[in-house]
Amino acid sequence: MRVNMVMHLIISKRISKLLFVLATSLMAVHFASAQKVPVTEVTLDNGMKLLMVERHDEPSVSGGWVAHVGSSNERPGITGIAHLFEHMMFKGTETIGTKDYQKDQQIILEQEQVRDEMRKEEEKMRAAYRRGEIDDLMKPENKTPRWQELNKKFNELITQQRDILVKNEFDQVYTEQGGTGMNAFTSQDMTAYFITVPANKLELWMWMESERIRRPVFREFYAERDVVFEERRMRTDSTPLGKFTEEAEAMFWESVPYGWPVVGWPSDIPAISKAQADEFYGIYYAPQNITMILVGDFKTNATIALAKKYFERIPRGKKDAPDVRTLEVSQVAEKRMYAEAETNPQVDINWHTVPFGHKDSYALQVLAQILSTRTGRLYKGLVMGSQVATDTYAAQDSRKWAGLFNAGGEAKDGKTPEEVEAGVYAEIEKLKKEEVPPEELQKVKNDFAASEYRRLSSNMPILMHLIQNEGEGDWREINEAGKKIQAVTAGDVQRVVNKYLTKENRVVGVYTRKGSSQKQEGK
Amino acid sequence: MKSRYNHSHWMSVFAALVMIAGLGIGSCARSQNLTANGTAIPKRPEQLKFPPLTFEAPSPAKFRVPLKNGPVAYVVPDKELPLVNIVIYVHTGSYLVPDGKEGLNELAGYLLARGGTKSKTAEALEERLAFLAAQLNSNIGDNQGSVSLNLLSKDLDEGLGILREVMTEPRFQDNKIALRKQQLLQAMKQRNDESEAIEAREAGFLAQGEKFWANRYPTAASVEGITRGDIEDFHKKWFYPSNFVVAVNGDFDRDTMVQKLENLFANWPFQGEKPSPIPTNTLFAKPGVYLVDKDVNQGRVSILLPGIKRDNPDYFNVLIMNDILGGGGFTSRIMNSVRSDEGLAYSAYSSFPGGVYYPSTFTAGFQSKSRTVAYATSIVINEMKKMTEGPPTDVEMNISKRGYIDRFPRQFATKTQIANIFAQDEFTGRYARDPEFWQKFRARIEAVTKGDVERVARKFVAPDKTVILVVGQKSDITMTLPEHPVALKDISSGPVTELPLRDPLTMKPIAGTEKSAAK
Repeated sequence: MRVNMVMHLIISKRISKLLFVLATSLMAVHFASAQKVPVTEVTLDNGMKLLMVERHDEPSVSGGWVAHVGSSNERPGITGIAHLFEHMMFKGTETIGTKDYQKDQQIILEQEQVRDEMRKEEEKMRAAYRRGEIDDLMKPENKTPRWQELNKKFNELITQQRDILVKNEFDQVYTEQGGTGMNAFTSQDMTAYFITVPANKLELWMWMESERIRRPVFREFYAERDVVFEERRMRTDSTPLGKFTEEAEAMFWESVPYGWPVVGWPSDIPAISKAQADEFYGIYYAPQNITMILVGDFKTNATIALAKKYFERIPRGKKDAPDVRTLEVSQVAEKRMYAEAETNPQVDINWHTVPFGHKDSYALQVLAQILSTRTGRLYKGLVMGSQVATDTYAAQDSRKWAGLFNAGGEAKDGKTPEEVEAGVYAEIEKLKKEEVPPEELQKVKNDFAASEYRRLSSNMPILMHLIQNEGEGDWREINEAGKKIQAVTAGDVQRVVNKYLTKENRVVGVYTRKGSSQKQEGK
Repeated sequence: MKSRYNHSHWMSVFAALVMIAGLGIGSCARSQNLTANGTAIPKRPEQLKFPPLTFEAPSPAKFRVPLKNGPVAYVVPDKELPLVNIVIYVHTGSYLVPDGKEGLNELAGYLLARGGTKSKTAEALEERLAFLAAQLNSNIGDNQGSVSLNLLSKDLDEGLGILREVMTEPRFQDNKIALRKQQLLQAMKQRNDESEAIEAREAGFLAQGEKFWANRYPTAASVEGITRGDIEDFHKKWFYPSNFVVAVNGDFDRDTMVQKLENLFANWPFQGEKPSPIPTNTLFAKPGVYLVDKDVNQGRVSILLPGIKRDNPDYFNVLIMNDILGGGGFTSRIMNSVRSDEGLAYSAYSSFPGGVYYPSTFTAGFQSKSRTVAYATSIVINEMKKMTEGPPTDVEMNISKRGYIDRFPRQFATKTQIANIFAQDEFTGRYARDPEFWQKFRARIEAVTKGDVERVARKFVAPDKTVILVVGQKSDITMTLPEHPVALKDISSGPVTELPLRDPLTMKPIAGTEKSAAK
């Protein structure tokens, strides 16, 4: 399945297949009467939520937490800050990562003073860029002499800091104690951190995670910005569709703050200051904005006591995180993008639909399943039937503030993306006119049902599903959505197709291979 | 304190909350960091005391069942979920594909499960599997094939019936062959789209030689020339019971499952051939820098050295050495210097896997903006050199060894993992050679010394033999820069060679692409 518009997870560390699997399998995690995930929920004194699933199948505990903040909580100028922040949370604390905290703080302070001056120079450079005097702010030769001088000074401070730095100590502590799979991701809606530790080291997890939420130190802040920029080059700039996907997303969202990339605009990433990160932390990493989740081999009662001991040290934030108030406006006309890229010809169609937990989201998930898979309507109609495509896909992507329905496919050699597009619409028209037969509906529901079991195979997948549901809005959906999926009727499916999959509600990306066009229209 | 319960049977939680509230912890814990029993939170994590965790590696013998009809099966019952998971591993692979038929393994492997059976058209088979929510997949890779089935235990008998028919009487339906060929052809067309794909392919050519069997790629002509007869022959040659190893876990009784497996493999309708040994004639390229020009703003670098097999007596020493050098992620030297110190890459690593059938390749790699490719390469080479110049520190040794030992139980975290690790050991011959491999794993890690690490570093990561592959924008990568006065040509003792892109449909070099920038 193609996940064009679903690829909004930015994973901070090792490239994690798990998350890809998660993103693609979320369409199928619900069922009615299947095994419930036995979650215990507790709210600590400081407002922090704690979810626990006791499971004694393996001698480990998968622990994670969701900060209810993502790129949708940003604004122009600081796009990418939520993700940069995720990287900074591995840089240590007052006690982890340095041999001399006082000196470390002093150096960081001096670094910031130099950086303040550099930022003044960067303002001048941006002005020069707007006047067309320089072509690229990133090139060393375009930096002002004063900036370069300050940069030398800054680098001297970095060298000084290195003497007292304990490199990546946060990772070292966990690794030495048998921690595995430590990672984190940032999406539009959430930032999540997770690891698996041996069952006897739950207290280590409590120590480490409470420590970094309580008093993180953003050291090596500016080197990490460069790392993030390399991440942007790796995922977005240097991949065949990265920049086009970014463009499509920017074109799709009108008012809800999903239009900018999670990794941030290229101009913003190097401009984010440590002061802005500090402010961001104060609002969004307050305990009342965080949900801790534990899955594995522990005793719930003792764990609650331990969690209180460690996490209630963190005072409740003075201010609650603000709600995102902007709602997506109704699109009034179809939008189209014609892209020439290093890729096979294909079409990618997106319709505005509904956010997570919306009553129509279940019928839309069922609809996606009816259209996708090898026994779905698109494959039968376009790949096996009219043979205009070699591959097709469909998915409902319900995010926290708004949602979309995505479908498309790759054109068969000799066919055009427009023919694939027409084929998709033809299948949709059939669904608008005729109800899905009972057998077909049941087949799709059976798949959702079996997925209810498959998701429970071990601690980490259970944790990831809880993270995803809680981050999008409510962990309870892990147990509630299944019933709602099973209750979807053929009439519901027909209704949502008619309601959402309309011409004026869609944004279409048509991709052809770069250089294959006969018409030399120029770039 | 607020608390909520999601299920009425979680009364024990309720009791606990009442107890905690009764002790009045809520208010004092915050200010004094004290718990119910008054223990303060230590200042450093090393001061924490953990209860012991004893873990015995499961014994393969406990699950091993040699079936009367040929295969060895690993049978791992697990009643937690109403699911059964079966994987049948097959001794076959692309190395057995005749010259000129490249792609045959991919077609046969995919179409076995997707092309219907004698009694069911491909469409009917897919519909039935979908209705049962059963996942049936098949595949043939370089030196192994597999057929897997995951389904609800209530459907086990029907599923096994389908599995038997798929393996003994596949239909390889013509329209499915045509579609799969078309899909392979269109996938080929994307071969030069991603710099990552170019890098992986060229790294293989450099590390093993163009003639090595694993570097034969399907072409438009080879796929076009594959007939249904070819596919049927390939299937019949290698898919027979004594050529299988089976892993099965899930919701069943052991004895019942063993009987079902006996039935599954009984009276097989055809006899196959014994596969020839896997060729090991790899050829490593001459030291030097190899550059593929590709118009992207980030260069990808692979630094290659000849590797080892996993039965090498130095295997465990190499494991620790590589972990310290670049295998251990954020606790490794390459990651620390390239990413954390310099901010030059998002991902920076080294890998030194032991090959199963022939020596694998040592690779150190990263991706960096064009202008810092040479500089970052010099940093990695320098880390490799330092690795050979002295022993690692005690701290490094401890993190690496404790890490391997303490995360060891994760290898066996699920029943699926247990069944498949043991089946793989059976398949690759490790069980026969070293039946207590997992029992002895932690002791062997424990035995590695600083001296061992230094010695294997000198033996295996000598930077003067490196082959350095760079895929990226040549003009920027080879630019001389005042801020980083390092040039690619000075990093290696060998010459800089430009490699052409390959025609995606023929895999023949495209003349001229090694000279001018790809525009």
